[in-house]
Amino acid sequence: MGNIAALKDKNVLTGNKKPLFLASTLVVTVAVFMYYFYIPPGVDIGPEQPIPFSHRLHAGIKEVQCRFCHPYVSRSISAGIPPVGKCLYCHNFIITKHPQIVTVHRYFNNKTPISWVKVNYLPEHVLFNHQRHIKKEIACRQCHGAVETMDRIKKKQFEMGFCVACHREKKANLDCWLACHS
Amino acid sequence: MNRRTFLKISGMGSLSFAAGCSREPEKTLFSMTHTPDDRVTGKANWYASTCRECPAGCGILAKNREGRVVKIEGNPVHPINKGKLCMRGQAALQGVYNPDRLKTPLFKAKNGWQPLSFLKAKTILKNKADEAAQKGSNRVRMLTETIGDSLMGLSSTVLKNLKSHTPMVYEPFAYESLKAANETMFGVNGLISYRMDKADILISFGADFLETWLSPVEYAWKFKAMHSLKEGNKNLSFHISSYQSLTGANADHWLACHPGTEAMVALGLVKEALDIGKGNHLPRFFHELLNKATAPFTRKQVHQRSAIPPALYEKLIVRLMGARNPLVLGTATGASDLNGVQTNLAANILNLLLDPDLLLFDFHNRYSVEMAAKHHDILKFFNTLNAGRADLLLLNNVNPVFTLPSDSGVKEALENSDLFVVSFSNFMDETSETADLILPVQMPLETWDEYGGLKPVVSTLQPAMGKLTNKPHLGDVLLYIGFENDQPTDNYKAYLVSRLAKDHGITNEAQWVQMLQHGGKFNPSVNPVKTPKQFHLKKLESILTQKSKPPKSDLVFAAAPSIRFFDGRGANRPWLCEIPDPLSRIAWQTPAIIHPTTARENSIAQEDVIRIQAKSGALEAPVYLTELVTPGLVVMGIGQGHPSYGRYAEGAGSNPFKLLNAKPDPDSGGTSYTIDQVFIKKTGRTLRLAHTDGSRTQHGRTYALSITLVDLKQPKQPQKRGLTMDDFPVTLPLREGYDPKRDFYSPHDHGNYRWGMVVDLDKCIGCGACSVACYAENNIGIVGVDRIMDGREMAWLSIERFHDPDQMGNITFLPMLCQHCDNAPCEPVCPVYASHHSKEGLNNQIYNRCIGTRFCAQNCPYKVRRFNWFEWKWPEPMDLQLNPNVTVRSKGVMEKCSFCIQRIKTTHDIAKNEKRMIRDGEVKPACVQTCPTDALVFGSLKDKESRVRKLVDDPRAYQVMGYLNTKPAVIYLKKVIHKA
Repeated sequence: MGNIAALKDKNVLTGNKKPLFLASTLVVTVAVFMYYFYIPPGVDIGPEQPIPFSHRLHAGIKEVQCRFCHPYVSRSISAGIPPVGKCLYCHNFIITKHPQIVTVHRYFNNKTPISWVKVNYLPEHVLFNHQRHIKKEIACRQCHGAVETMDRIKKKQFEMGFCVACHREKKANLDCWLACHS
Repeated sequence: MNRRTFLKISGMGSLSFAAGCSREPEKTLFSMTHTPDDRVTGKANWYASTCRECPAGCGILAKNREGRVVKIEGNPVHPINKGKLCMRGQAALQGVYNPDRLKTPLFKAKNGWQPLSFLKAKTILKNKADEAAQKGSNRVRMLTETIGDSLMGLSSTVLKNLKSHTPMVYEPFAYESLKAANETMFGVNGLISYRMDKADILISFGADFLETWLSPVEYAWKFKAMHSLKEGNKNLSFHISSYQSLTGANADHWLACHPGTEAMVALGLVKEALDIGKGNHLPRFFHELLNKATAPFTRKQVHQRSAIPPALYEKLIVRLMGARNPLVLGTATGASDLNGVQTNLAANILNLLLDPDLLLFDFHNRYSVEMAAKHHDILKFFNTLNAGRADLLLLNNVNPVFTLPSDSGVKEALENSDLFVVSFSNFMDETSETADLILPVQMPLETWDEYGGLKPVVSTLQPAMGKLTNKPHLGDVLLYIGFENDQPTDNYKAYLVSRLAKDHGITNEAQWVQMLQHGGKFNPSVNPVKTPKQFHLKKLESILTQKSKPPKSDLVFAAAPSIRFFDGRGANRPWLCEIPDPLSRIAWQTPAIIHPTTARENSIAQEDVIRIQAKSGALEAPVYLTELVTPGLVVMGIGQGHPSYGRYAEGAGSNPFKLLNAKPDPDSGGTSYTIDQVFIKKTGRTLRLAHTDGSRTQHGRTYALSITLVDLKQPKQPQKRGLTMDDFPVTLPLREGYDPKRDFYSPHDHGNYRWGMVVDLDKCIGCGACSVACYAENNIGIVGVDRIMDGREMAWLSIERFHDPDQMGNITFLPMLCQHCDNAPCEPVCPVYASHHSKEGLNNQIYNRCIGTRFCAQNCPYKVRRFNWFEWKWPEPMDLQLNPNVTVRSKGVMEKCSFCIQRIKTTHDIAKNEKRMIRDGEVKPACVQTCPTDALVFGSLKDKESRVRKLVDDPRAYQVMGYLNTKPAVIYLKKVIHKA
């Protein structure tokens, strides 16, 4: 009887080997898939843009002021992104033969807008006002991070807590509609 | 379920969950190649232009955000509308962004419509034009709406080059009888304007000047300038007509008369004036003629035949004869039968008798819609086409197949295979359908042009938005087809500029830019033209002595011009369909409006579908019963019933034009919108009416209150204040409005402002302009006819209409919006704190917090909260109109009026930048901005000097259902009525 039981046990073990193997492979595959899907390596450096524009180079090394390219930041709710023509203020003279600069020239000459990938954004029911924050001398980096050290802009997950913490600290407007939503 | 199935399903479920999820979709930001000089992302640009939704030609400012026009407001420096705009003007946005707008030219081939390129279409047109011109003279004809002088000049030149006559101007509302009366009386074959604001009594024989007549926004502000309460007094207005239009509802006294008897009453009044010795300054022969013509119209005769109440007629006579600056206006927009001509003529005579200098007549400023051809000539025009006397017909923004009666022969003429018809319309409407080539051109908001609705005012048009397609300007098409190599200018803009420069002495760029920024050149009428007094005696005699025939049958049918659709051109704008009719409160449908007595006689009930049979056709419509029409009359609003005009117009309502007779009146050359020999029959079917009113009367509650002038003048007695409906005091939404005797909770602490609104019911005319402005500003969804029947309309601001139960003909309008109560019933019931009180007193609704329990809407006594039962759609490109500063609400969320919080915030920004407080009147919600009569005032109640704070002390001030102790921040001022 004992033998039979042992045999059965053995059968169970050998018979289960294949499904166990399949199950563990599935778990590993799903884990690897999810890792690459949700936390892909390299996500840290920010999304790829149609032109590999480097903020580290322009804002960091060359020390171009933020407002040179984003001039509306102190005048309007949105900071604005520079028109293609603005790149050529300098790049009509600097490294004009660089293949990427040639691409910029091509955009300009064909009057084609560049479709940049939007990195930072807020949900539709939030209306952030850049002007108000700049007027209160909140530095750009306080929300956007050290842009001058990033080649690609890294996404900042702006959640309500982030806004409210600062608004509390600075005793700013905490009214829902009057402050952010409408 | 066994274990195995469970595991299978859960495994499948988790896998599909993992596969179905993806990262957030990538959003893109487009950088332009060049930024226009005036473009700041996130800030609006305003472009001055001119409204072309009707011939009035109001000045507008178009708000442009990042290249797309999102809102239209009136131009404050424009002399016609003074910064105000009606609902049709605002809905022009839904014309340019209409999803059914044609994008390319279409050519009618054997197997249906073929899309073409614009160049190809222009080439076809040019070849056809050249061919036609070679065949002989006058082979190319053009039918256009009222257009500016520049475009008219160019069209005429082009047609001359093609050996043809000048264009024919077609307007369905061409005021033939008014023009005939002006010509007979003053020798002016045109449409003069009236200084209504200076009058002290106003009599109208049906002229619907608050809806469509001549220039509705202009007369709305002029009417209230004359009619509002001034130093405890209020001027009188009388309206004599067979059915009550919105204008009639706003008069102090509506004298209901039998259809077709207006002339009798008018001539009766002339007789009364002559009898008391007025008109002695007139030449004797004229005086005698009048005496003879009006002799039959004694008071008794007038009472008997017109059935107007004797007491009111007496009052009218006394007040009119004693007035210092009386103004008498003629008939409604579409009355051009003998009765209409006689009435308009009698109105002119009355004015002359009572005010020999005609001070209220402005012969200098005249409406350019006077260029419209008479109905008679339009019919002749189509007859010549039918007879094959033309080869090419150009149609500019006219829809005669819809607006002319079925027996006019229009459709046959246009479908004539020898005639090549080109329509420049942007929509596949009834007339475009009969065309051989549709060549859509730019619409007024996209283009350069010039138009003067009230000459000599000249208003400019400039593009207020980016181009959606590469449609050409009509002027450019004309330049292309009308010239060989001798074009006067390269393009129409250059033609326009050179013409304006010549006519208005513009010598340099700066002057041109200034003219554009102002929106035109508004020459004030400095030299009043001397009153022309040239009587066409023969014509006068012949008109006055004719006996107008009483209607031949018991039942009479009248087609009423509509404040919403004008002549039908507004029927494809969903805002105009969704906003209910001001008097019936019915949206999307065209009911047949009859008196309960008529209904009883024919054993018809409300919502029965009846068949209306006339000589020239028949149509079916559901019945709406109201006391606002006289018994024996069937009234139907004009504008809907399009077999073809895009998704919003098709299948909605019926078209009363189809019942009318094409035969014109011999004296005026116009046609009548009232016909007799009509029969109605029950079809046995019923149709639910999509009405938005819960009840017609107030059931004794205090919603829309009025006070008689006599009571208002009584010295105010200190009243003992209690807690009942009738003696509850006005409780302001401020600290002082709280009393421990009735308030358990302590007052709110507000910041620097406590926003509030004052609504003067005495000034509100119920036109609904505020409501459409609100739809446009706040991205309010369009729900459609079925949802309205379910009571799910989304309007944040609606104009409630209440009949007086004792006198159903008397109406009060009540603009109802969120009252932003201080003691708001909606706030404490929200389980998630989505509706809560703001520090500036607003009742915030936080959409992303709302979970849709709808407790707040249940608890709101004003019923102003709207729930999103569905995800509302803005079919492309209508989504381009959405206001980027206002969240588009999704399904399952409650919403309501926010007092235009986005505008308050923008003003806060400006004030903060300038380091000051917000000034009184600086914040203007969309409704307040556009109100033609300034019935709405907005400001901070905390500011003791603000206009709202001062108006609150008015003895007429009250709060709707204030006895609930909600402490509303919307304070109403009672309507002032004259006792009959």
